Amino acid sequence: MNPKAIDYKSFFYPPGGILLWMIIFLELITFGMALGAMAFSAADNGPLFHQSRLQLNATIGTINTAVLLTSGFFVAMAVHNFKAANLQKSSLQFKLAMLGGLLFIAIKGFEYYSKIDAGLLLDSNTFFTFYWLLTGFHLIHVVVGLVILFVLNRNITTTSIETVEASAAFWHMCDLIWLLLFPVLYLIF
Amino acid sequence: MNKTLTWTFGLLALLTLAALLVSNLAIEPSTKKPLMLLLFSSKFLLVAFQFMELKKAHVAWRAAIVAVLAVINGVIAVA
Repeated sequence: MNPKAIDYKSFFYPPGGILLWMIIFLELITFGMALGAMAFSAADNGPLFHQSRLQLNATIGTINTAVLLTSGFFVAMAVHNFKAANLQKSSLQFKLAMLGGLLFIAIKGFEYYSKIDAGLLLDSNTFFTFYWLLTGFHLIHVVVGLVILFVLNRNITTTSIETVEASAAFWHMCDLIWLLLFPVLYLIF
Repeated sequence: MNKTLTWTFGLLALLTLAALLVSNLAIEPSTKKPLMLLLFSSKFLLVAFQFMELKKAHVAWRAAIVAVLAVINGVIAVA
């Protein structure tokens, strides 16, 4: 479909498609409920959550935030260039976005390794149970998003604008979830 | 469009730096918590409205994302 023909103002076609936005809302609500549970749990165990939070490296978390946002920026640019029929540039930007995703996973892997090395595991305490479950579930989303971007980029010459927008929206959803997780896990308590 | 995305990215980078600075400030947790939530909510909305182009969508979708964010932040702030 010609992008100019899509009526984004229609309730049934938000950029990315209505089905993907339903998934995005379900994901945000699910993560939001878990963060709410974590906040209430922290209210009962303030010192434990504070001490545990201090064992996380906020600088690594900030670097990962920057990496994910940069990757999201390249995806947004890639969609823009795809709409302008500049497929070569769009493909390059999707590749840069994937590189960002891989870097995020590598940094997360390093962080996980240091936590395992320090004996801070899923059953160490309530804070680390939330930490492992929330960041692990988010990491699965990043991996799935990377697979989607890889398949999309391989078929960029034959794919439709709807598919490109939906794939991009899924990748941005990983940004949104991380922007909810990061302050609560690394900075607030 | 290119320019808007670049400006948005620049703003997101500044907000990320601001969050790191605020997190290292020796201020009361009761002040720090809402400040951090405000900074990250701004980033969340910039990604949703600019990168995901929700600004072009029907008002119901725009209102829904703001409402979901407000409820999540509200629960975290109240706890």
